[in-house]
Amino acid sequence: MISTMQQAAKICAVMFVGVLFVASTKLHAEDWSQFRGPNATGIAAESTNPPVKFSTEHNVKWSAAPGKGVAGPIITDGRCFVTTMTDDGEFAVLGLNAVTGEQLWKTRFEVGKLPEITPPNEHASSTPASDGERVFVHFSTIGLIALDAATGDELWRYPLPLPFYLMGWGAANSPIVHDGMVIFNLDDDLNSYLIAVDVESGDVRWKADRPEMLGGYAVPVLCTANGRTDIVVAGSGKLKGYDPATGRELWTCNSLLRTIMTTPVVQNDRIYITVQSYGDTDRVLKYALLQWRDTNQDGKLAKDEVEPAFHKKFDDGDHNGDGFLVDDEIDDAFQAKTNRVGGGNIIQAIRGGGEGDVTDTHMIYNLHHQTPSNIASPLAYAGRLLMVKKGGISAAFSLEDGSTIWMKKRIRNFGNYYASPIAAGGRIYVPGENGKIVVLQSGPEPEVLARNDVGDSLVATPAIANNRIYVRTLNKIYCFSEEN
Amino acid sequence: MHRPGIPAGVAVALLWTCVSLRAADVVQIVYGLNAPALQQYAANELGSQFERLFDDIYVTVVETPGDVSGTTVYVGSPQTNPYVARLRPDWPEVSNQGIVIRSFPDQRSHVVGGGSPVATMWAAYELGYRLGIRYLPRGDLFPAKKKSFDLDGVDTVMEPQLRSRTWRTINDFAIGPESWGINEHQQFLRQLAKMKFNRVMLAVYPWQPFVRYAFNGVEKSTATHWFDEKYPVDGDTVGRKAFGGKKMFENPDFSGLTTADERHEAGRQHMQALIDTAHELGMTVGVSIVPGEFPLEFQKALPGSVIAHQLKNLTITAGSDLGPADRTFRDLVAAKIRAYVETYPQLDRLYVSMPEFPTWGAHADQALHMLQQRGLSAELTMGKLQQMARDRDVIVSGDRGAQAIQGNLVGLAFFHVLFEDAGLLKRADGRSVELVIQSVDPALFSVLDQVVPGNAGTLNFLDYTARRSADNRHFIPQVPAAQVSSELIMTLADDNVGILPQSAVKSLSTLVDVIKQHGWAGYSTRYWVPGELDPAIYFLARASWDKELSGEQAVRELWTTATGNKAAADRLWKAWEHLETATDLIDRHAIGFTFPVPGMMMKHYHAEPIPEWWAEATDEYTQYMIELYRAQGAIDGDAKPVLFYYAKRGEYVLEYFAAVNAVRQAAIAREAGDTEQAIEYLETALEQTYNCINTLADVAQDQSDRGVIAVLNAYAYRPLLDEYEKLADAE
Repeated sequence: MISTMQQAAKICAVMFVGVLFVASTKLHAEDWSQFRGPNATGIAAESTNPPVKFSTEHNVKWSAAPGKGVAGPIITDGRCFVTTMTDDGEFAVLGLNAVTGEQLWKTRFEVGKLPEITPPNEHASSTPASDGERVFVHFSTIGLIALDAATGDELWRYPLPLPFYLMGWGAANSPIVHDGMVIFNLDDDLNSYLIAVDVESGDVRWKADRPEMLGGYAVPVLCTANGRTDIVVAGSGKLKGYDPATGRELWTCNSLLRTIMTTPVVQNDRIYITVQSYGDTDRVLKYALLQWRDTNQDGKLAKDEVEPAFHKKFDDGDHNGDGFLVDDEIDDAFQAKTNRVGGGNIIQAIRGGGEGDVTDTHMIYNLHHQTPSNIASPLAYAGRLLMVKKGGISAAFSLEDGSTIWMKKRIRNFGNYYASPIAAGGRIYVPGENGKIVVLQSGPEPEVLARNDVGDSLVATPAIANNRIYVRTLNKIYCFSEEN
Repeated sequence: MHRPGIPAGVAVALLWTCVSLRAADVVQIVYGLNAPALQQYAANELGSQFERLFDDIYVTVVETPGDVSGTTVYVGSPQTNPYVARLRPDWPEVSNQGIVIRSFPDQRSHVVGGGSPVATMWAAYELGYRLGIRYLPRGDLFPAKKKSFDLDGVDTVMEPQLRSRTWRTINDFAIGPESWGINEHQQFLRQLAKMKFNRVMLAVYPWQPFVRYAFNGVEKSTATHWFDEKYPVDGDTVGRKAFGGKKMFENPDFSGLTTADERHEAGRQHMQALIDTAHELGMTVGVSIVPGEFPLEFQKALPGSVIAHQLKNLTITAGSDLGPADRTFRDLVAAKIRAYVETYPQLDRLYVSMPEFPTWGAHADQALHMLQQRGLSAELTMGKLQQMARDRDVIVSGDRGAQAIQGNLVGLAFFHVLFEDAGLLKRADGRSVELVIQSVDPALFSVLDQVVPGNAGTLNFLDYTARRSADNRHFIPQVPAAQVSSELIMTLADDNVGILPQSAVKSLSTLVDVIKQHGWAGYSTRYWVPGELDPAIYFLARASWDKELSGEQAVRELWTTATGNKAAADRLWKAWEHLETATDLIDRHAIGFTFPVPGMMMKHYHAEPIPEWWAEATDEYTQYMIELYRAQGAIDGDAKPVLFYYAKRGEYVLEYFAAVNAVRQAAIAREAGDTEQAIEYLETALEQTYNCINTLADVAQDQSDRGVIAVLNAYAYRPLLDEYEKLADAE
């Protein structure tokens, strides 16, 4: 009886907490709690009137100068989290009041010797994720870190191996939170993996190796189809679905290209991905390596032409043991035999919820227009799949059938596009590296509403929450709003 | 940290503490009692270098040696450091530029010294060089790994092969050092001192704010930069991140100054600081002026003057009625020269450019006669001289050559009369400023000693680019270098070839060989954007002290040591070969291709076929860029960011060529009546121009880089945008 009562009390307590939680979720403001907001879609559904015109002097609700960084800001439970490298070479995570910009806390981390990195990448490049109570972030020399969202206190850290990239790009991978786990994908050129870590304890729940993958930056997304929610990760040549409970690979679609820097977007049961990977379809890894890593240009790779971290792979590929990698030996060393893909352009829609090899069964369309960006992810919004690439060249296709809505139209802002477009309230925000954010009216034509100048290099994808737009430039963060 | 000037007793205590704490190599550097400032400076520099070069070393820099076990490095000569004298080394006979580095292993001692305090400073840097440091104009490249302390095998006695090693600075145009603030100049000068340059020439122009003078009731009120061009920075300025939030591109020492008084005073301070810094580093300083040109306000003071036709027409000069004997004109020139000598009383040299007075042709025969009366061989007739000037293969030839020689003769005659007044060059301390006549026509090279006034030296110009000068090197042996001090203008990068990356290492190598063979005193550099010039400057610096060193040897050696990767160094030489080939293509086919003036881009907007050499140059620059990206990917250490900078600049030039191509195609389409196609090409041109500026902004590291960005916005991007919008609106 007592136990029944206790059980009932427990149930009541749980229900009470549950009610409180629901109430707080109902009451709490809109969140943008990971890279590109809800499920990396780039869409703030609850914001109906985000600002159209803003600048460093106009419609600035607040601004702060946290230091250098290219990771996007996130907004959770009224707090804004950003990362930076401090002037004295430490990595720092900052908690700010999302409404006022007041700094709530700043937690610093010693990082040791930093690895090679290629601009515009910066060491503070991982966009954090938050479950409201905690903030999770990755740093290349540390691993995964969990902080108390309210105080910034470090809760745990899970060390991960230092990633290595044959081309020296450097890490820029972002975690997500799902079902009590921090899900983190890191595809490098040495040991690619997808890992799930318990949000509370920091213990690993599961780890799935991804040996076929080369360096890439896709963030995991969730796709619910066939009554099942899968973790979907894009990587070299393959889009894969994983079981969130176990990390078991459920399906694979062998339709991607060699280098994947974009993140797919999910709408309903479909996964949309756009990729530009340099070179044509026959240009496998060896050509790139012979062009850029064969220092003396003798047509073969010597061991001292690659970083020591890759020497084991080198030896694996050096079949005749002559100390050089020649021709296919290069691909054998660094690219899985089952996954020799080249470059090109793809715009694909793939149905989720499959089993095994779904390449032929779940592909809805596969287009090869030269419109995708190699870095900026697409936006699936209002029935259209929008993409913007270098030069401010935009294109849109029907989400439904891939038909062209418009092809290669300039939005009149040149330069590079590293941040991805985002949307709210019928407006699309396209952030250019030059610090201009072009605002488009969502529609059948790329109608420009404004070109807003945020005054600094812009690599991080902004966040939108509660009709405010949070823009993290290379050195500062701005909250723009039409509130007075 | 080494501790400069710690008293010996304290140093001993520190050393003992240190020795007991760790097994460090203990090195004391002794500069001696009452040492000259440069000798102390050299000792401190040595200390800093040792700490970056060697592991586990404890260095003290002291006036007098302490009684410690360890190595002692004595800095100076027997004349300037009594401890060097006490060592009684076999001190070699060296000139005031000679370098001595000696080891005494049995006494665990070394001497780093020279024939003068500045030579001692050079010896310290020569030791640094021999220990693996590579000094470049914008910084030092240290070996990637520290070594154990060891100075064995570095003994040397050196004398320069070229005793006059002049660095020219200030110049004109936003892309050049006219844009640099004093801090940037000082940093550059400190690096040049490490490379043993021993002279600085400040090349200034009449409209600039470095001197003010009055004549006949008119006071100089023009005090501007860059031919009075202005470069605002706003939200639409491409690559604005390079400007750090500033609203205007300007020389930082003149920021916000608008009145002539303010700007002249800032100019005086700027130039005085340059002179002081150069002197502190043991360099002599000269100012190079165009003596016969004056800002427009002097029109009133010089009746009969005419406007000198050049960019923006900012100056006046003597008209045809004002011959070389005109007293008012001569007095005005004298007033200007006195202004420099009095404003900068420590000035060592005055370089006067030969005036280009096309209006003075009528006085040429009279001038020749006068020069002949003063010792010029009577065999040289006007006809012969004009024929030589017409027939030669330099850029100033044909009728222009014939006119130039006339102007030269009149100018020389004018200088003879002008400098008869010995007081003109007299400094306040009673010494005289040394006179150097600049750019006497090559037709007069064989009689150079007969045409320059008094004991004046010469600074000689063959042609705009090093390649053209090398092609005309047969003029060099004509100069009687034993009779008249002769230096050659070495163009590292030409403003006519323009803003694009350039190299001239091979041509410079040829020229250096020839001037060494024929006893010339040395050279003076000419450049605007430092950009890719590191290897060329490095070559000049080393070849000035090395009888045999070629450009290729110098560049290979530079990169081998700086990268620690022989394969990368070999490929980097190939990179510089591609760059020089590209430079030569522009020079041969279209000198002036990116001359940094209005119309720079739109001059290509005419419907003519695309020249084949554009593709050839693009290919050379492409190979250059690939070599650099590959090499920088293969190395670590100080050289990596340097190579990355070059690589990005290699990328920018490709985008510039793509823009120029698109502009030409737009013009062809417009001519064919296809406006839509023309607009598309202009869009491409705009995008490529945008990209090229942005790429440059990614790595902009100095005011010259920012100047190029400002110029590209003003003379390429904005005019293109205007044309694009004009066509788009019409459509």
